[in-house]
Amino acid sequence: MLEIRDLSKTYANGVEALKRVSLSIPNGMFGLLGPNGAGKSTLMRTIATLQDADEGSVRLNGLDMLADKPAARRLLGYLPQEFGVYPKVSAEAMLDHFAVLKGVIARGERATVVESLLQQVNLWEVRKRKLGTYSGGMRQRFGIAQALIGNPKLIIVDEPTAGLDPEERNRFLNLLAAIGENVVVILSTHIVEDVTDLCQRMAVISAGEVLLAGEPLDAIRALDGRVWRRAVPTATIEDYKARLTVLSTRLSAGRSIVHVLADSRPEEGFEPVAPDLEDVYFGQLKRHVVASPAA
Amino acid sequence: MFREIFRFELRQQLKSPLFWMIALAFGALAFTAATSDHVRVGGGIGNTHRNAPYVVVEMLADFTILGMFLITVFVAGAALRDFEAGTAELFFATPMSRRAYLGGRFAAGYVAAIAVLVCVALGLNLGALMPWLDPARLGPTSVKAYAYAFAVIVLPSLFFLSALLFLLATLTRSMLGTYIGVIAFFVLWQIAVTVTGTNPDRLTLGALIDPFGIGAFEVATRYWAASDRNTRLPEVTGLLLTNRLLWTAVGGALLGAAFALFRTDREPLRWLRRRRAPAVTEPHAVRGNVVFPAVALRSDARAQWAQFLKLARFDARAVLLGVAFLVMLVFGLVNLGADLAFSNEMFGTKVFPVTHLMLESMNGSYNFLLLIVVSFYAGELVWRERSARISEVTDAFALPDWIPLASKLVALFAVVVLFAAAGSVECAIYQLIRGYQHLEPGLYLANIGLVTLQFGLLGSLALFLQVIANNKFRGYLLVVLFMVSKIALSQLDFDHNLYNFGSTPSAVYSDMNGYGHFLAAHLWFSAYWACLAFAFLVVAELYWTRGSVQGWRERTRIARQRFTIPSRVLLAVSLTGFVGLGAWIFYNTNVINRYIPGDLAKQQMADYEKLYRKYKDLPQPRIVDEQADVDIYPHERRVEVNAHYTLVNRGTEPIRDLHVTLPLDVRLVAADFAPHQVLSDDRVHGYTIYRLATPLAAGASMNFGFKLEYWSRGFRNKPDDTRVVENGTFFDSDIFPHFGYRERNQLEDRNDRRKYGLGPVPRMAKIDDQAARRNNLLCCDADWVTFETTMSTELDQIALAPGYLEKQWTANGRRYFHYKMDKPTLAFFSFQSARYAVRRDQWNGVALEVYYDPQHAYNVERMLDAMKKSLAHYSTAYAPFQFRQMRVLEFPDYEKFAQSFANTVPFSESIGFIADLRDPDDIDYVFYVTAHEVAHQWWAHQVIGANVQGVTMLDETFAQYSALMVQEHEYGATQMRRFLKYELDRYLAGRSAEVVEEMPLALVENQPYIHYRKGSLVMYALKDYLGEELVDRTLARYDREVAYQMPPYTTTNDFLADLAAETGPRWSPLIDDLFHKITLFDNRVVEASAHRRADGRYDVTLKVHAAKVYADGVGKESKARIADPIDIGVFARAADGKEANERPLLLEKRMLPDGDSTLKLTVAGEPYEAGIDPYNKLIDRVSDDNRMRVSIQR
Repeated sequence: MLEIRDLSKTYANGVEALKRVSLSIPNGMFGLLGPNGAGKSTLMRTIATLQDADEGSVRLNGLDMLADKPAARRLLGYLPQEFGVYPKVSAEAMLDHFAVLKGVIARGERATVVESLLQQVNLWEVRKRKLGTYSGGMRQRFGIAQALIGNPKLIIVDEPTAGLDPEERNRFLNLLAAIGENVVVILSTHIVEDVTDLCQRMAVISAGEVLLAGEPLDAIRALDGRVWRRAVPTATIEDYKARLTVLSTRLSAGRSIVHVLADSRPEEGFEPVAPDLEDVYFGQLKRHVVASPAA
Repeated sequence: MFREIFRFELRQQLKSPLFWMIALAFGALAFTAATSDHVRVGGGIGNTHRNAPYVVVEMLADFTILGMFLITVFVAGAALRDFEAGTAELFFATPMSRRAYLGGRFAAGYVAAIAVLVCVALGLNLGALMPWLDPARLGPTSVKAYAYAFAVIVLPSLFFLSALLFLLATLTRSMLGTYIGVIAFFVLWQIAVTVTGTNPDRLTLGALIDPFGIGAFEVATRYWAASDRNTRLPEVTGLLLTNRLLWTAVGGALLGAAFALFRTDREPLRWLRRRRAPAVTEPHAVRGNVVFPAVALRSDARAQWAQFLKLARFDARAVLLGVAFLVMLVFGLVNLGADLAFSNEMFGTKVFPVTHLMLESMNGSYNFLLLIVVSFYAGELVWRERSARISEVTDAFALPDWIPLASKLVALFAVVVLFAAAGSVECAIYQLIRGYQHLEPGLYLANIGLVTLQFGLLGSLALFLQVIANNKFRGYLLVVLFMVSKIALSQLDFDHNLYNFGSTPSAVYSDMNGYGHFLAAHLWFSAYWACLAFAFLVVAELYWTRGSVQGWRERTRIARQRFTIPSRVLLAVSLTGFVGLGAWIFYNTNVINRYIPGDLAKQQMADYEKLYRKYKDLPQPRIVDEQADVDIYPHERRVEVNAHYTLVNRGTEPIRDLHVTLPLDVRLVAADFAPHQVLSDDRVHGYTIYRLATPLAAGASMNFGFKLEYWSRGFRNKPDDTRVVENGTFFDSDIFPHFGYRERNQLEDRNDRRKYGLGPVPRMAKIDDQAARRNNLLCCDADWVTFETTMSTELDQIALAPGYLEKQWTANGRRYFHYKMDKPTLAFFSFQSARYAVRRDQWNGVALEVYYDPQHAYNVERMLDAMKKSLAHYSTAYAPFQFRQMRVLEFPDYEKFAQSFANTVPFSESIGFIADLRDPDDIDYVFYVTAHEVAHQWWAHQVIGANVQGVTMLDETFAQYSALMVQEHEYGATQMRRFLKYELDRYLAGRSAEVVEEMPLALVENQPYIHYRKGSLVMYALKDYLGEELVDRTLARYDREVAYQMPPYTTTNDFLADLAAETGPRWSPLIDDLFHKITLFDNRVVEASAHRRADGRYDVTLKVHAAKVYADGVGKESKARIADPIDIGVFARAADGKEANERPLLLEKRMLPDGDSTLKLTVAGEPYEAGIDPYNKLIDRVSDDNRMRVSIQR
């Protein structure tokens, strides 16, 4: 169980990246959803001990992670949003290197760990290849492998699917899904499907604030019967936005499909549609923008 | 299109702050160089004006070279801009032509580079206008000089350089690659300079292959006197023109290559086609549930150690396999190879590659590269994880903070060790190639240790600065600032090693004495700096960046958190060590030794002159007898002297006051002489005035007893206490008290004198100054003295002084030697002690001895041979040898000279003892130097001149000539020619560096380039015209007349009168030219052809140019008429074409008209070369055009 209490962070340039963020995250996959610049990475990096918060606390199974960083790091597996590799080093050698740095000292033990992890992320056949030749998906799987070294209790995965093609993304999500239920896994993303597909619990964060936290299904259920859809000419979208609460617009075969939030059919031509997590997400963001026009 | 691209690119360049930073920095540097003596880039020396045309050209040329590394940014930047900004494909999709694109970019980069040099020119010019400059050192501003410098040097050089850079950037498409290329080019160029620089025969080649044209410019101006430099510029013809055209053409070719090889696609040009990577197959992501392998993460001490080792290996590997390191290593090794092959030559003869000379070579330019390597990799390593963005992952690992920093330090040490080891191996290989087998691996290891320590300190500091700066380029800037400040500090006489990070007194090595006591001093200072470096590292660990950290406040907060007990203890211990060692060092350098910074030393010399010069002519008694007990304690580096002078008042007035001078580091324990009182006792300048209770009456004598102690305790800030060492003690009677003001302790440098408020440089007394003739060359308180000494030293050493060994014995565990001279000699005595091997021989009843270090037996036989032949020649040609014994004694190479005392010649280990004379074609300078020193037994120890103008001609020039004759008899005239060419070169170079006034030989004012170099040439020419017999007869006559003379002493006038008497009026113009004037010739062959006659002989047509000028003391020339015949020669060569096997077909002296003339000659064999003054007997400013290959017309 990860307990985040009142976490705040203001950067030197005045940007408030986190505003009193509190979350309770149980074991299992937790989705952190938010647009670019919402503060997801700041939150992830703070939990990963790479950045200090101005205020607040983070506790993992009772351990104060911000106060005792060395202890926190021993429980941690972290796959950062962007990370590099030494392009001329093989996956096996690199993972071995990481294992030593994490504290897997005994040579035999380390070999077992490296083999086991590379097998599980299915990179064993290509372990001798240089990391520079890996595709984006393989590299992300390598990233997961290193995050799993040393039996972590908390795994943080920051925007892992950005830039992956659909097939690679699929493979990667399958891998994440297989990690299991006994550890806390935080997946931060701006792609709604990632959360829909994987997470039992989620939070939506925007401009440093938690807008919603809970189970995706509960959130979707709350919108039952309130989402309406209509195909409209692209030129008229601005009119709709002015009149109605437009959740999203999407192009389809040259026309625009608008989703609108309303308790009853807003206008002629709109048809009801079953809400999905995307509607929830956009609904939250919209509400947030309306509530705080300055942001 | 070209214009648009050019305009756009130039605007980009001029908008860049970097451009203005570099331009301003260069302008400021030029300004400083023009206004201060502390920053020197080229620049005026001596009588050359600070802003002389010559200096302007040199400075701009030097700045062009200096700018090479910075200009890279502009030119390579222009070539790479679109690839780096990702705009390349936008450009190449337009219909513009490749020529316009590349041409525009190149031209703009080139113009930006020129603009920087324009700033330099402005800085120089502005500097010369500053009011604080000595107006005597400035000439009128010469716009022409600037125009010339740009047209002839700067523009072509920059064109070549820009083309090279442009090509490199085009090929590598990376700034790093370009830089590596530039460094490679720089090193190659340096090698070319080294290879061609030392030997006059290779100057032409060297001038041609210098892409900056400086070599050619220097050849054209090589023999210019100051007045030439102040007014003239060389014509752009010959070598200079060829060089400029050559390198402009090369630049054009490089640019053409860049245009041809330029590619618009995304991959840079590859030399080797890479194996294609196999297509990536995507395996499935996962099988079943992920099972976490069960492991325990360890963080105990052993685990940390294992992590440290692993990371250290990982970092070291990355550096050692890094391209930059390998490139530097290879270039360093190539450079070192060239240095080994071409340094340590004297008259073109090599020395044996003894290991410590190998180390000296290595510690020069080779280890200098480590400065760059270590600074560069400190930055690379600190930023390694962050640049590769690995830190995003690893910073979240439970790795202790100290491990990454420590591993980077180890990697830097590994670089240094490997670099030094590679150099050592190369040196050892070189030794073996030269057939030298005494390799001394222990010494190599010791040196690697010392080098590692030295650069480890720098590496620690660089790591610290990089961590603190928290920005790679700011870090580099700090490192550069540190280095600049180090140079600046020492230039400004802040020269104590205690406040100059990483500075230590160097560990001077000599084969005789090893590292001696200098090693301890070096290590104490190293330990001191190591403590500070360690403290820096502790702080760096506290500030080590992990994750994203913002600003100083946050970093400091984190550092405070990390400042736990272990850090505190380490910091406290290292700072305590630093302070403690600092105190210990201060005690050694400043309390028990005297530390005098450079400017204070000058101030003291100035004060000495101001306070005491008024006593210069004060009558003082003369020493007539010296008795000295000298006890040497080599291991304590201590000497006790218990001595006794007999003084006589040779004047006509009674002497009331004794003015006694004593070196500052010698302690007068007791003085025992007639009742007196101390009037003043100035310990700062070592000048004490005693008032005798009863004045010393004219003609009366008195005893003067004294006890001295010289004790080199502890260690000093500089390794300058070389007098008394563990093995190889050598000092002379200068450490004894002397009477009266000593002119040799005065400040000589004109600018220093001006700065410290002294008058113009004191010149030597005029030749007709009768009062000055009271004293001989040596000094002012003695004429000929009797001498006796009892020396003692440690049991395994031999102690030596002039005189004959009367008795030796052992007492109190020490060895005693009693030496006595049986006739009066000059009052100048050497004292030596070392563990010697001795080789004895005899000549005509004269005992010959060489005392040498057992490692250096190589040339002992040559020395003995030279002694025998010299004694034989001199005693026949001049006068009998006055002693029964002649000795040569080796001393450590802390000094590099040989010096002749009565029957005793201390001889440095570095000149002669290790000369490699295995090749019989090489000039045997061991023989020559020995002959020269033996000749001083006549020319100094028999004939000594009055201390007036010309005096050094009477000892040094005559000794040169005497040795030349012995050498010629031994080795023949051919070797003479090569030898004299070196002498000519050094004379001409010496006169162009003259700061006061060049004197004719007969009035030489102790100017070595005149009394040695010109002296050789003059005497040899004299002999050539008059015959050896006549010259010898004159010298013998002169010796007979003036040997062992009492005051007034002789002058060159006496000798020249003898010469005139012997030769008659026929030769007086020649003697005038040689001794009384500064005479220079411009003799050259214009054309040489020959055709075969029916009778098998050859008709040679020789067109020659002959001209003579007289120069005044500042180099101003006036035309003169040729009055004496000049050699004309035609030479044949054996089939191998070697000069050593040449045979003169014709050699005769002919009267030639001034200017051009044509000679028709007939010779018996096929001519190879012909020439005017072919043996370079006359002083000719350009000596290599005196001969020409004869073209044979069939």
